[in-house]
Amino acid sequence: MQGVKLDAQTDSWDHTVSEWMDGDGEIRTEDLDSPYGRQVWDTYHLIGDVLRSEDLAIKPSDLFYARVSKAIDAEPPIVAPHRSRFSAARIGLSGVAVAAAVASVIWVALPYFSESAPDNTPVLAAADEGQVNDYIEAHRQFAGANPIRQVSFDTGATR
Amino acid sequence: MELKGISLCGGKRALADKAIKSWGLALLLAFAATTPAQGAEPFAEQVSAFLQQTQQAARNSDYAGVFTYQQGANMQSSRIVHVVDGTGERERLVILDGEPREFIRHNDTVQCLVPAKELVLVEKHRMDRFPGVLLGENHDLDSHYVLRLHDARQRVAGHECMPVEILPRDELRYGYRFCVDPKSKLLIKAQTIDGEGEVINQIAFTSLQQGSAVQAHELETSWDLRNWRKVQVATQTVDVAKLGWRVVLPPGFQHSTQVSRPMKSGKPVMQMVLTDGLAAISVFIEQFQPSQDSRVMPKGPARNGAMNIYGARIGDHWLTAIGEVPVATLHQLVEHIEYVPPAGALH
Repeated sequence: MQGVKLDAQTDSWDHTVSEWMDGDGEIRTEDLDSPYGRQVWDTYHLIGDVLRSEDLAIKPSDLFYARVSKAIDAEPPIVAPHRSRFSAARIGLSGVAVAAAVASVIWVALPYFSESAPDNTPVLAAADEGQVNDYIEAHRQFAGANPIRQVSFDTGATR
Repeated sequence: MELKGISLCGGKRALADKAIKSWGLALLLAFAATTPAQGAEPFAEQVSAFLQQTQQAARNSDYAGVFTYQQGANMQSSRIVHVVDGTGERERLVILDGEPREFIRHNDTVQCLVPAKELVLVEKHRMDRFPGVLLGENHDLDSHYVLRLHDARQRVAGHECMPVEILPRDELRYGYRFCVDPKSKLLIKAQTIDGEGEVINQIAFTSLQQGSAVQAHELETSWDLRNWRKVQVATQTVDVAKLGWRVVLPPGFQHSTQVSRPMKSGKPVMQMVLTDGLAAISVFIEQFQPSQDSRVMPKGPARNGAMNIYGARIGDHWLTAIGEVPVATLHQLVEHIEYVPPAGALH
């Protein structure tokens, strides 16, 4: 079962992959054989390729650098996630590589569950239903053979 | 009205083409022989043509009755009156169980009556629901479902009806068992079935009048709405792709509505609807706030009644996919969604 890797754990994992790519340490392929592992592996190879190849490297304008610097300073949630996976100081990348990494950020789902056997699907407890019911009702508006939705309304929000 | 006429003609033309083709004509003759008194058109043998027939019946005929939805231990009954007049479709839907609610529809305008708050919510959109089951148009249903007509007749709500199975060609969607009035083509009963043939949920008329038996005065609400507050529902159309979301559609699914809507929590949430014509999936996208990490939105696969749910975090967003499709379909969909912050996000 692939657990959720967070913060310190994730950072050391990223670091391990980085070391493997530099030829340090023995590669543990079983650790890489998960969607997350492959994603990190691919990302580091992409960064490596960008660093080595003139063709792949984007040559951004000064304005672009300025925008990236500004964005990093401001750290809006979209650009700077609280898990700083692309920390320039840690990996020791040049400015160009950081810019390339920022420009090619693609967010994908984290693998919370390595497999999802329908039999193990948790049935929502009563406490959860209040939260998710609103969403289910909103979905029913566009689904066919369904009970009539109870309509989500909040007089405060719709006033 | 004109549009409706065109699509109806289109349906009939397609039907005629079919009848001429191959042994469709033989089927027509066979039907004429077995049901001489009814003189109705035969059922289309193709999934999309068949569902068009039932959809046209749901939109273009007069009917009134009570239908009941059942799922697990839950039941909900509604009284419906549907009349087509010179101005188009008029419909009144009264929820008979739980909180009183009433929906009054005139073509694409729906008024939802909330008596407890003396409130009328007004929404404008096409809202097809039972006894109409087709969602949107131009779906390639025949590539993803097969149709099986059955000779045996059933009796539902005092009406003889013909059982029809629409089964999926892959494991990405559920199957359906319908029972249809052979004459009017109105859907009388619908069941959703999983891969093992188990009924996931069902909806059926328990009483039904059709045609001239329907009283137009039943369309009028019994509530006095004079002092009620009227509110337009604040949904806003959005373009999810332009906002940086890359979605790999499951085979057969197409984008439908994309809106931003306020939820009960007060936060706006984007809702992206995908449909293959029969099954629908909603993907809700909202900002993920670490401070609210403890809030109870399902993470990974979950189930609520007949609805499967899959929740996942993508960057600083939280995604919740909901639909009456196998949970593996939702899992696959969410795992293939990517968020690429649009260029504007750096400015």
